[in-house]
Amino acid sequence: MNEFSRRGFLGLAGAAGVAGLAACAGTGTAPSTGSGGGSSNTIEFWSNHPGNSKPVEQEIIKAFEAANSGLKVKLVDAGKNYEEVAQKFNASLAGGSLPDVVVVSDVTWFNFALNKQLSPLDELLATAKLDTSDYVDALYNDYNLDDKHYALPFSRSTPLFYYNKDLWKAAGLEDRGPKDWDEFLTWAPKLKAAAGSDKIVMELPDGSNYLDWVFQNMVWGYGGAYSKEWTPTFSDPNTVKAGTYLQNLAKDGYLKLSKDPAPDFTAGIVGCSMMSTGSLGGVAKDAKFPVGTAFLPTDGNCPTGGAGVGIPANISDDRKKNALTFIEFLTNAQNTVTFTQATGYMPVRKSAVELPEEKAFLEKNPNAKTAIEQLPKTRSQDNVRVLLPGGGARIGKGLDQIVQGQDVAAVFKALDAESQQVFDSQIKSKLGA
Amino acid sequence: MQSSVTHPRSATPGTGGPPPEVGPPPRRSSGRAWEWSLAALLLLPNLVLLIVFTYRPLLDNIRLSFTDWNVSSPIANPVGLSNYIEWFGRDDTKIIVGNTLVFTVATVGISMAVGLGLALLLDQKLRGRNLVRSVVFAPFVISGAAIGIAFQFVFDPNYGLIRDLLVRIGVGVPDFYQEPGWALFMVTVTYIWKNIGYTFVIYLAALQGRRADLDEAAEIDGASAWTRFRRVLMPQLRPTTFFLSITVLLSSVQVFDIINVMTRGGPQGNATTTLVYQVYQETFVNQRAGYGATVATVMFVILLAVTVVQVRFMDRGKKA
Repeated sequence: MNEFSRRGFLGLAGAAGVAGLAACAGTGTAPSTGSGGGSSNTIEFWSNHPGNSKPVEQEIIKAFEAANSGLKVKLVDAGKNYEEVAQKFNASLAGGSLPDVVVVSDVTWFNFALNKQLSPLDELLATAKLDTSDYVDALYNDYNLDDKHYALPFSRSTPLFYYNKDLWKAAGLEDRGPKDWDEFLTWAPKLKAAAGSDKIVMELPDGSNYLDWVFQNMVWGYGGAYSKEWTPTFSDPNTVKAGTYLQNLAKDGYLKLSKDPAPDFTAGIVGCSMMSTGSLGGVAKDAKFPVGTAFLPTDGNCPTGGAGVGIPANISDDRKKNALTFIEFLTNAQNTVTFTQATGYMPVRKSAVELPEEKAFLEKNPNAKTAIEQLPKTRSQDNVRVLLPGGGARIGKGLDQIVQGQDVAAVFKALDAESQQVFDSQIKSKLGA
Repeated sequence: MQSSVTHPRSATPGTGGPPPEVGPPPRRSSGRAWEWSLAALLLLPNLVLLIVFTYRPLLDNIRLSFTDWNVSSPIANPVGLSNYIEWFGRDDTKIIVGNTLVFTVATVGISMAVGLGLALLLDQKLRGRNLVRSVVFAPFVISGAAIGIAFQFVFDPNYGLIRDLLVRIGVGVPDFYQEPGWALFMVTVTYIWKNIGYTFVIYLAALQGRRADLDEAAEIDGASAWTRFRRVLMPQLRPTTFFLSITVLLSSVQVFDIINVMTRGGPQGNATTTLVYQVYQETFVNQRAGYGATVATVMFVILLAVTVVQVRFMDRGKKA
């Protein structure tokens, strides 16, 4: 009996553990449309506090509550990055309590909009008589699907070219970024010689950490693209040329990939990088050398990025109205200035840069000015990266393989096929539905 | 085994005890019913919890594995076996199953072996052993995410601790984050470091409950230390080893936090992606919750099979 009990117990414990594992790992509940729950007078705002913005978010919320008696805002820690916020929102769609306002990134908003889980804002904006013409056009139009807008810009960023001015000086280079990638290639040997063997000329984030976002600039710079609308164009000769350029930079010892170039750059180990404007505050504060910022090489080829804020579809009209009131306050010109100065993200309102406090700030912080001046030169990213499910991760994986020396044409050919297959199976039938 | 103890109230006549009570014979069937009712009553709360939070989601997961459910969609269309056919046919399946196998075998094997070694060492009468025991156990109670962040500084190829040590002895520094083999090595070592405290403390408890007289007898009979370890100690630790092999296997297969923090399944997309991480990526990154459920179901079947084999193996070992 004793023997049976122990063996039986262990066996049962193992089986329960295995079952629990599969149950936890799986998706759990069946999909359903939720009633939304929540209270109409308490606006639940789900955020990952982009750019360590929790204190400034709280400050704006306090001002909102003072200006709108009867309305409260509950700030919820919904994850440490945009993907985690999306996961939490997905979980709430399967039957939980929905937020009133949710942060959605340039990548995550589309799937929610496509599956009708975010409210189209146009009607709400018209009813509330809110003017959207003050939002920066390129940023506002990033959330457009079938002529409807599903989010308003909030923590928007672009990549910037960051460089170590001391190294530039030692290499005898002008105090500016490269005009194009061919010019950078002529600079690279000088930078390498000046940096020494223990330092890295350029470091970029790896494929698991948005290499695909900054590489968009190189692809466009060589006349290629990830896609034209929904048609993948990785095998386009110009896209392959950009991939080959990236591979050669690594092969020649000028480029390294890392999980996060910001600490290496601020430590002085790395000569230059392409990083988000959201990194500007931390880099400028921590670097022990003069930091230079410049437009990305090749004029007019800078991708937009970052996040906006949306309103779930399945909540009451009262809640939607209050949510929009809060979003309008959160992203008005004055609060845009507050948020921008605290985080390094870009002003999402055109009039924000005309406010005296912003003008004074930009005067004192020329690096922040670079980001704003680059804004009119930005482009929306190619669909297969930003709108296709898993697009960023898929392209990032391919770019990692290219940097490690795999055949560029073969990697890109596979990306064409995979991207087309994902579009056919997951997107095509839903477009225009 | 026969009992030699008799209850005073059932003492036989002529032994000086009190006379037996007179009455009807005990009703066996009603006693059984009572025992069953009591058992059911005591088990009910746990059974309800297991059914609601484990078995129902498990069945739901299996159902979803036959659909094309997009995680954000209210609709899940049936797709038959196509998710399973895709999983078996995809190029990355081999890589991911291989990663899972390497990670699991290494973490189970090494953490049990090192845990046993440390338990044997710290079972000796050594000065400061309680402090060392605490130090060895401590990583187990730290969250995987925190350990993942801390170990990024250990393995960083530019300014990490390991780089510093290797440079001092003139050895080249691998790029743990970009080279697939080294990346898997990095997450495996990190997980083993976290998990050794668990195997150590379970083995230590087992060692403290072992029969020292058997060891002494074997020593008197002239058995070597190795023979005593193999023939006397290990058989006594067999149930503990079996228990650990199941629990460590299950926790190793479930590891997510360390991989997510350190590599996000990369480099090159899937060099450190294990089955459970693939479930996450397919469900939340690629939005294919139906396919994610398929991977979870496949993982369930594999683990169930492994656990059954382990139980059988243990059973056979006991009979031998």
